[in-house]
Amino acid sequence: MELASLTTQFMSGLSVVAILIIAAVGLAVIFGVAGVINMAHGEFIMVGAYTAAVVGQLGGNTFIAIPVAFVVVGLLGLIVERGVIQWIYNRPLETLLATWGVGIALQVIIKLIFGSELYYVGAPKLLDGGVRIIGRLPFPYYRIFLILLAIALMALTFFVIYRTAFGLKVRAVRRNRAMAGALGIDTARVDMMIFVFGSGLAGIAGATLAPIKSVSTTMGFPYAVDSYMVLVLGGVGSLWGVVAGSGLIGEAETILAYIYNSVIGKLLVFVFIVIIIRVVPRGIFGYYERR
Amino acid sequence: MTSKKTLRRRSILKAGAATAVGLALASNKAPYFFVRNIAKAQESGTIKVGILHSLSGTIAIIERSLHNAELLAIEEINAKGGVLGKKIEPVIEDPQSLVQVFAEKAKKLLLEDKVVAVLGCYTSASRQSVLPVFEQYNGVLLYPTLYEAQECSKNCFYTGAVPNQQLDDFVPWIIKTLGRKNFYLIGSNYIYPKETNREVKALLQKHGGNVVDEQYAPLGHTEFSTNINKLASSNADIVFSDLVGDSIVAFYKQFRQFGLSANDIPICTPITTEQEIAAMGPENAAGHYTSFNYFQSVDTPENKSFVERYKAKYGANEVTNAVMEAAYFQTYFLKQALEKVKSTEADALIFEGLPGQEFQAPQGKVKIDEKNHHTWLWARIGKANDKGQFDIVWKSNDWIRPDPWVDLLYPNKDCDFTNPKVLERLKSGGSNRSGTIDL
Amino acid sequence: MAAITLGRVRTLRKTPTIPLWAWILGALVVAAIGTYPQYGSNYYIMSLLGKFLCYAIFALSIDLIWGFTGILSLGQAVYFGISAYIVALSLKINYALTHPTRYGGKIPDFMEWNGLTELPHFMTPLLSTPLAILLALTIPTFFAFLFGIITFKRHIYGVYCAVITLAESLILQEFIIEYQAYTGGFNGITDYSNYTNAPFLWVILAVAVFFFIAARVLTHSRIGTVLKSIRDNDVRAEFMGYNVANYRIFVFCVSAFMAAAAGAMYAAWVGLISFLDGGPVFSIEAVIWTAVGGRGTVIGPFVGTFLVKGAEFFLSGVLAEFWQLVMGGLFIFVVLAMRDGIVGTIANWWRKRDRGSLRQITEDSDLRAHDRQHDWEPEGAPTRSTEI
Repeated sequence: MELASLTTQFMSGLSVVAILIIAAVGLAVIFGVAGVINMAHGEFIMVGAYTAAVVGQLGGNTFIAIPVAFVVVGLLGLIVERGVIQWIYNRPLETLLATWGVGIALQVIIKLIFGSELYYVGAPKLLDGGVRIIGRLPFPYYRIFLILLAIALMALTFFVIYRTAFGLKVRAVRRNRAMAGALGIDTARVDMMIFVFGSGLAGIAGATLAPIKSVSTTMGFPYAVDSYMVLVLGGVGSLWGVVAGSGLIGEAETILAYIYNSVIGKLLVFVFIVIIIRVVPRGIFGYYERR
Repeated sequence: MTSKKTLRRRSILKAGAATAVGLALASNKAPYFFVRNIAKAQESGTIKVGILHSLSGTIAIIERSLHNAELLAIEEINAKGGVLGKKIEPVIEDPQSLVQVFAEKAKKLLLEDKVVAVLGCYTSASRQSVLPVFEQYNGVLLYPTLYEAQECSKNCFYTGAVPNQQLDDFVPWIIKTLGRKNFYLIGSNYIYPKETNREVKALLQKHGGNVVDEQYAPLGHTEFSTNINKLASSNADIVFSDLVGDSIVAFYKQFRQFGLSANDIPICTPITTEQEIAAMGPENAAGHYTSFNYFQSVDTPENKSFVERYKAKYGANEVTNAVMEAAYFQTYFLKQALEKVKSTEADALIFEGLPGQEFQAPQGKVKIDEKNHHTWLWARIGKANDKGQFDIVWKSNDWIRPDPWVDLLYPNKDCDFTNPKVLERLKSGGSNRSGTIDL
Repeated sequence: MAAITLGRVRTLRKTPTIPLWAWILGALVVAAIGTYPQYGSNYYIMSLLGKFLCYAIFALSIDLIWGFTGILSLGQAVYFGISAYIVALSLKINYALTHPTRYGGKIPDFMEWNGLTELPHFMTPLLSTPLAILLALTIPTFFAFLFGIITFKRHIYGVYCAVITLAESLILQEFIIEYQAYTGGFNGITDYSNYTNAPFLWVILAVAVFFFIAARVLTHSRIGTVLKSIRDNDVRAEFMGYNVANYRIFVFCVSAFMAAAAGAMYAAWVGLISFLDGGPVFSIEAVIWTAVGGRGTVIGPFVGTFLVKGAEFFLSGVLAEFWQLVMGGLFIFVVLAMRDGIVGTIANWWRKRDRGSLRQITEDSDLRAHDRQHDWEPEGAPTRSTEI
């Protein structure tokens, strides 16, 4: 294993970490704040990807697709929240089931609209090609873009939660809902807004992840699974947990895949997660999260 | 006192009931549901044929086209008067790319719908899961997909290419004409790629190539940066891919994104069709090679007309590919067989109706071999161009006889349904329903 | 507080016994299924009946831990799947001995095309099918026991438990697919002798009735009462002196045993096992059948399974996509409007005619959902956090 290929592998690992962060941050926000287990997260990502496909067909590129997907999936989140979630906020296990149903329904609806062939979503021409860092292979610009985007999204989320008035309300509700309500914060509205925000983030994830993989109605489930693993490992309710969880899982998977093969890599990572959860049930950053 | 909760629940219940009724009425399929069971009783005036292809899931990308092609053929046949004076009625099932559901639906088609024959399956996994069902209940399956051979079931007719009609010419061509010797094998993790790679390795040994690495990815896997990295740091000069389904799109895309070009390391595959190219975008496929017996760009009058008719029915942006071309002509084989034996009985079709059938397919003339129930096909090699089509760079001079027990690996085995010993064994009703015989 | 709790316990124990009409109806249904082979000519429907019964037992096992004890496991199919694979492997190995494969070997075909030349040593016990059945029943129960100790003793439950079980289900699935030399991988195990015939249908039916009665006895006994109290508020139960973790482990093992039994019969009946039978999608589907039928009741899972799967059968084919939409909508509907499922809703309505509905006693029906502190970490927070 020469240095060059190991370095490339590490960089690929970074891009995998970035992909995980982008996919999981929306879920982290919703789960961490509102306590809602959104099993339809994968399908939200899928809708974001299809939005990007439509934008592509209308002549736009990924950069345009990002805000469009944010809005579209955010709206979708609004509908789901008002229609389904708002009745069952205090029952996390039931939101799980209800959102599973939402996920299935979304898959079918998208299938009815778009058919079940794979869709072609291209990366923007600007990001074609790559930069040769080390070794034989150039590292694709698009993956660098993804890494930057992951950082940007995390920064954005941190900013919103810790630096805005809205974020203050969010944190108050998270800490002590009754008290926040007594102080005049409209907790229902906060829950709704955070759900919309999280959904929008999922939409961005879909729009940006579509060009490197394939777009189909069933593409969402693996992303949802990965996102949950990230959250459970990193600690629910903690944004740093998202980074930690993604970092560990992404790099571990990539490096193990290099040493063995991709299937064993994934398998070992799962086992690794289960072991860690046994030892640290709340996730890595879970214990540091102020209650 | 009715609490708010009860009120809310009541209103949800009312809304739900209203929606359900509304949906049912609005959907023009609702009357179909009620009528279906009555209609079943009336249907003796049609010939039922099962269509068992995934319309959803990871394999739907390609299997949908098989379904479409078969329906097109049925439509054409019905327009010309049907078979034996009756119309063909397709009974469509969607196994959702799930092996288990394939077997379940196959059972339903044979036992519940009592179809005459089933046109179905793409992956070897799905075929292997339904064959026991067909063998147990003596049904007829027409299987249009290229596969790894080494099989010949009494109840199956194979209209797709077997390795000696694809690989036997492809691999030497890569070595001699492309001048590439160092093969990097990558495939999806199930029987077809594994068996195919076995044959490839045997061919490499025979023609002087070598295997640099052999990697498998789970079906549906889409993250290939590790594989591409390993590929680049090896001395491979050609990738032989048996990836199937969604993985194809992801792999080609990431291959190009990492800066590898088809000139440096071409991807050669017996699987990637115009369909997957449409999904990945032509620029990701340009310059790579596929070997098939048919491409949309084949220049025969039958093909021109076929492509036109297909586009007319399904849309001008649709593409055709080799597997759905087989699905198309196998439907005609079934029709001809039914007309020949004038019966819908399975054994009649299997022993008299289907063997020996010929048809002028879009790829050229094709025929079902009487001995082994596989199909004589033409071999071609195509190079993908930037329009999403293939330029045909090599073509066999004549059609090739199928050999499911290819002599290279199995000189002592053959598949022969005309052999009296085999016939005796089959007619005695034992559980071995294969036509394989040791020489 | 204690008085209300005790009062609830007393009320629960006086839950109406099964009325006579239910006995008669139940007997009729059992008889109808049992004699189907005689009067029914449709072989396919008979095969479905056996399958649905196995599914129903599996759903019942989920109901035991979820509806009665409040543990949501999204990976219950692990126990079903392991048992099914053991039985299927055993049947397949025995089948292969008398039916040579395409290469002439006497081992299962998937082993051959993966390069194995003889039966792996650790699989030799499977040559004996009775032993295999025993293993199929005990190994999953043992795993459940291990899982229980590691999880419940550390007070991991609620959402975390759900996600961990989901992860384990996925691991099993990946494991099955990867080690295809031993498990048949993506293809699954197919083509072995299966017992789709009338006598075996009666066996399945008998087992189903047995588990039904056993579950009913269990849930209406003292143990069942404790389980329900754990479901309603485990902190309170702990303070009452019950060792909550032990009860959870116990019911989890019982549930795993049931799932394993269902899986073993399923493998023998259907003749095709794949990784799907051990995966999370199957687990969640079973949870839905239970929810639709009525969690917290013993008959609910049976009703739910037959209703949902039966409808799927009728609506398959052309209406398949429409059916998926209905399924999705059904989940949402059941969770929002019919929390107790069909049977539960009927039972509530029935009980409401006699006295106040039990649900109304236990629900804070007048508080808006938002105004309650919600917390999925039950430890330390004295709220109604285990409300499911």
